[in-house]
Amino acid sequence: MSLDSSASSIFPRTDWAELGAAATADAARLDRLIRLYWTPLRIFLVASFPSLKDQADVLLQEFAEDKILKTGWLQRADRQRGQFRDFLKISLRNFVLDRLSRTEARRPPVSLEELEADLPGPEETAEAFDLTWVRTVLAETLRRMEADCKDPSAEQPRRSRIWEMFRIRLLEPLLHDAPQVPYEQLIATFGLKSPTDASNMLLSAKRIFKAHLTRVIKEYAGQDAATAEEIRALEEFVTRLARKIG
Amino acid sequence: MSEFDSAGALSKSPPKSLAAFLAAGEERARLWRPEELGAIFRHQMSAPVLMDLGGFDPATAARLKTLSHAQSLLLTSFLDLFLHPVPPVELLTLTKDFAKGNMDHPDASLPNEVAAVLYYVSIAAAYVRLDQRISQLGDAEFQRGLEWSKGKPWVEARLQRLLDEALQKLARHPTPRPLPRAEDKKP
Repeated sequence: MSLDSSASSIFPRTDWAELGAAATADAARLDRLIRLYWTPLRIFLVASFPSLKDQADVLLQEFAEDKILKTGWLQRADRQRGQFRDFLKISLRNFVLDRLSRTEARRPPVSLEELEADLPGPEETAEAFDLTWVRTVLAETLRRMEADCKDPSAEQPRRSRIWEMFRIRLLEPLLHDAPQVPYEQLIATFGLKSPTDASNMLLSAKRIFKAHLTRVIKEYAGQDAATAEEIRALEEFVTRLARKIG
Repeated sequence: MSEFDSAGALSKSPPKSLAAFLAAGEERARLWRPEELGAIFRHQMSAPVLMDLGGFDPATAARLKTLSHAQSLLLTSFLDLFLHPVPPVELLTLTKDFAKGNMDHPDASLPNEVAAVLYYVSIAAAYVRLDQRISQLGDAEFQRGLEWSKGKPWVEARLQRLLDEALQKLARHPTPRPLPRAEDKKP
């Protein structure tokens, strides 16, 4: 995303020229992240403060601007790499509570007690946020993988077929409950000469998927260790949730 | 432009599917379903020998090509190799090594069961057609492997017969146990 065009940013009111180079780089990174994870943030905000549903987008935008313009926020987030999601949630919740307190001080249209009276439990709210976060991460991973595999300038002409193999063999059955395409059909569709040929194609697809997944998560989690930890945390979360829901 | 609406599809996916999805990048996860082993083995048998064995070092690959030419095996399959009346022992050995490299290996491109049957069939073909043992397996271990392979319903009839012949030959001509050395003899 280019910061030259404020129209393409979530911070249209920010005067980028006034920010230093480091702040601009930080801003660019957070701009990208918040745009990507807008949906889970919005879900978390609305779940935490249902009465603010109509103001959710404005509040989110203000939250993003406020955090960027406060130097040090990203650095604090960086120190908590691996828990970026939690840091974001707590920051957003605190930001909204702070806004509400200030509003209440000026005029008490809705009390905090009243606002929090219809709140779902904190666990449910966090689950809704994390679930949407996982979905966002996976959707972004798939979007990038597809674009990468279909990139006409790529050196490997097989890559577009690798995406097709991944889509037919893994994506469709997992996401659309489609029956798995039988092995014989895969051979015919992709002109596979041997099982090694077939396995290598599927293994390549898995590797490309894993590489993109790691890259997407690394953009917010940071170093390799924190990224690996975040992948494990997301896996544990959805597995636990799957068991809970049944 | 993306043709697959991943965001739309994922928005309705239950946590169970998401968990499976996150694990999709794991290479250790099984690539193929057990019910597909038959199709995979048939595919392996019909695959050109040079296709899979061509991955060895250049010298071996060149030797392989010469052997295949000499035996009119070029572009023919693994099944043709196993059913050949006098298959080149080097090709059978390379096939055995290729199969062994795929057994119990996390990055293997063949399912373990398919690789194991390929391994025992290679040894059986050398034993039955050429009267040569191309592995270090002892009789008992060899017999267990032949019987295990024969028990796979997806192994085609002609190869089942080859495995049978190997079993019968092994029963008729067990490898003589080495005589105990003098120092091993009890007084």
